[in-house]
Amino acid sequence: MTTFRLLAATAAGALLATGAYAVDCPIKIGGIAPLSAPGTVVGGEAMREAMLIAEEDINAAGGVLGCDIKVVIGDSEGLPEKATAIMEKLIAQDGVAAVGGGYHSSVGVASKDVADARGVPVVFAETWNDTITGDKQKYIFRIAPLSSWASATIWQFALTVPDVKKVAILTENTDYGIPASQETARGLETGGVESVTFSVDIGTQDYAGIVQRIKAENPDMIITLVTGEAAYNFTQQAADAGIGPLDMPFVTGQDALESGAYWQNVPDGQYAFVQRIGVPETQFSDKGRAFAAKYKERMGKSDVESYAMEAYDSIAVIAQAIGEAGSTDGDAIVAALEGIVHEGTLGRIYFPYGTQKDPSEDGKGDEWWHQWPDPALTMIQYQDEGQDSTSAAIVYPDAYKTTEPVFVHQ
Amino acid sequence: MEFPVLFWGVLGWMIFWGVSGSILIRRRYLARDLDTSNATFIGTMAGAALGPVGIAAVWAGTPRASGYLSTALALLAVLIIAVTFSFADPDNICVTSGGFVASQVVNGLIIGIIYGFMALGLSLIFSILGVVSFAHGEFYMIGGMLVYWITEVLMPGVNPLIGVLGACAVAFVIGAVFERLMLTPMYHGKIDRPVEYGILVTFGLAFTLQYFVQAVAGASPVKVQRYVEFPRFRFPAEADLVWIKTSRGSMTLFEQVTISSPRLSAAVTCILVLLALLYFMHRTWTGKALRAVSQDREAAAIAGISPDRMNMLAFALGGMIAALAGALLVQAFSWLPQVGAIPAMRSFVIVVLGGLGSLPGAFVGGIMVGLVEAAGTGCIPDAQKAASYIPAYGMIVLTLTLLLRPTGMFGRRFASGSHGQL
Repeated sequence: MTTFRLLAATAAGALLATGAYAVDCPIKIGGIAPLSAPGTVVGGEAMREAMLIAEEDINAAGGVLGCDIKVVIGDSEGLPEKATAIMEKLIAQDGVAAVGGGYHSSVGVASKDVADARGVPVVFAETWNDTITGDKQKYIFRIAPLSSWASATIWQFALTVPDVKKVAILTENTDYGIPASQETARGLETGGVESVTFSVDIGTQDYAGIVQRIKAENPDMIITLVTGEAAYNFTQQAADAGIGPLDMPFVTGQDALESGAYWQNVPDGQYAFVQRIGVPETQFSDKGRAFAAKYKERMGKSDVESYAMEAYDSIAVIAQAIGEAGSTDGDAIVAALEGIVHEGTLGRIYFPYGTQKDPSEDGKGDEWWHQWPDPALTMIQYQDEGQDSTSAAIVYPDAYKTTEPVFVHQ
Repeated sequence: MEFPVLFWGVLGWMIFWGVSGSILIRRRYLARDLDTSNATFIGTMAGAALGPVGIAAVWAGTPRASGYLSTALALLAVLIIAVTFSFADPDNICVTSGGFVASQVVNGLIIGIIYGFMALGLSLIFSILGVVSFAHGEFYMIGGMLVYWITEVLMPGVNPLIGVLGACAVAFVIGAVFERLMLTPMYHGKIDRPVEYGILVTFGLAFTLQYFVQAVAGASPVKVQRYVEFPRFRFPAEADLVWIKTSRGSMTLFEQVTISSPRLSAAVTCILVLLALLYFMHRTWTGKALRAVSQDREAAAIAGISPDRMNMLAFALGGMIAALAGALLVQAFSWLPQVGAIPAMRSFVIVVLGGLGSLPGAFVGGIMVGLVEAAGTGCIPDAQKAASYIPAYGMIVLTLTLLLRPTGMFGRRFASGSHGQL
């Protein structure tokens, strides 16, 4: 009997050491991305490929807990109602241990409650709305910047542009656009700059009437807080009307980072400013450089978008957390994520605030809960026609600046 | 708005007397055993424009009120709303800037022509087959995608006209083949519920086309270069007020109205094709046969016209018209496999607004929706809301039209409805 118990204990110990007893292989991780309109398909395709590259890299390095991982992609279509359905499907039908990705804020806002209620951790990659972490939900993490930080970069940059007295803001009426435009308008006001905001539905195609109305406002600068091809449409139609990037300081949508699509859709887009997350390519970590090379080769692109890097990191950080937790249990993964130090493509990822330390202890707001605090935010400018986004000039902030901005109105 | 009480007060007055007029005049028509199809509209407009005086005049003059009178009363009602708005919001840019109003009107007119042209195809299909094609937006989408594929992938640098013609030809063939394969069972009594069948089978075509294109071409937005680039021009060269000035992609008239080259070329082409279509419908045997089938299938068949062939031609032609609209706009908008959803929805609104099955109604309805959208976007005082409501403007016009004239502006009471059958 003693011998039997000894054998049993040894076997159990061996299983515990490998972790193989606790999980079914492969370990499934969900990946949310907008792959159909009205979502931002350009961004969604980039994120999907990045998450699949993460899967390959992790499996090539031996997987997690002795298992391969499998990234199950879900199409959010950029719609909140679709997002909740896809989160339910990933958890209930596909049995994912955790979920990464996510592009539209409205998708994050709607789907986080489903994941939190079911006890499945989510590391959002590119959803900016402050309330996503601000609701202080146990299972919700984010490596994207807060909307308020991203807006601050834009309005602080706008205040450095000479001779700007009035700014026109075009925003989409979504969980990303509305708070972002309000924060931008408030920030501009602190610098004595007047602003007027126009909001549109996501996926709007025809901007002729709005462009004329913006033109009549006689702004000195235009800021676009619209995602997807809608931003391409607006930027080119504004250019056709004589208020485009060639005519005045013009911040276009973040999807302009997909430079191939940008130049095809916005041939008059030279001198546009674009917000970019992450350090310039020259300052990439080894992991960032390796991912960029693989991504560019696979996608046939000359640049790597920040949301692709965020998507890659969201899967990689989950995989590391599962490994450190030694199980796919949601609570164990959350505990591991709260203590994680992950060397990602964007830099060192960690979450200083959560159940162990409330943000208020350091005088921070609730939005810092489970929030990576260090995403680099920069403004780039396409100073040459046809330029790719990673070689475009970084013009703000000074810490990352590579070239002085060109102000076409001067 | 500086004096909202004035604006909403006048609007309330017009609504009250409009509703009263619609009820009273309709009752007057019914009492005299007259056709009431236009009674609600004329009663509403008389009440809205002239109040109790207008209602009394129409009441006394029943049934002498003509279509011209109802149009004049409608225009007067619109004028009263515009004048009231100008007094209520004197600082509104639509009141203070004539140049801005002109630019909004021109833009509304141009996009309205294109809307109307696209809706024309839908109306043509309905008038002949009695089928509402839910694949109309996808024909629009493949039109643009085919131009992109021909001019950017298959034969880079080729004249865009080749791409446009190629797109039209492919769309025509797809429409003809689909009609032969999938819609013919409707005509021969093989389908119990032809209306539902027509909707479902065109829905199926829509999904097939959309996801086929997504699978083949991907879901990233594409666009083609402008078909026409203006030479740099300025007239008069040395003057304080330049009448016309062009840049590569746009034309500015009187330093106020800017029209982009893609929109202008699309609208002009739509007008030319519309004229050709009118010639085809009214001057050629095939066109007359199409019109005959739309009016009376049995009489047309007795006269030696094959309704089945006309069904095929109408569906193919309708799809081709949508594809041509797409082929012309792919130079103006970023193009995706899902790009047809909003234009298709707008086409349905326009077709019902203009009158189901009415070709002139579709075109006039398109222009009306374009102008209303432009007016709403330009004149709603709150800049943040003006553009957000774009999809609602057409719906408001549609709702009002259906309330006042259920057959639409130019509709017949029993337009088609034969669903392709004799």
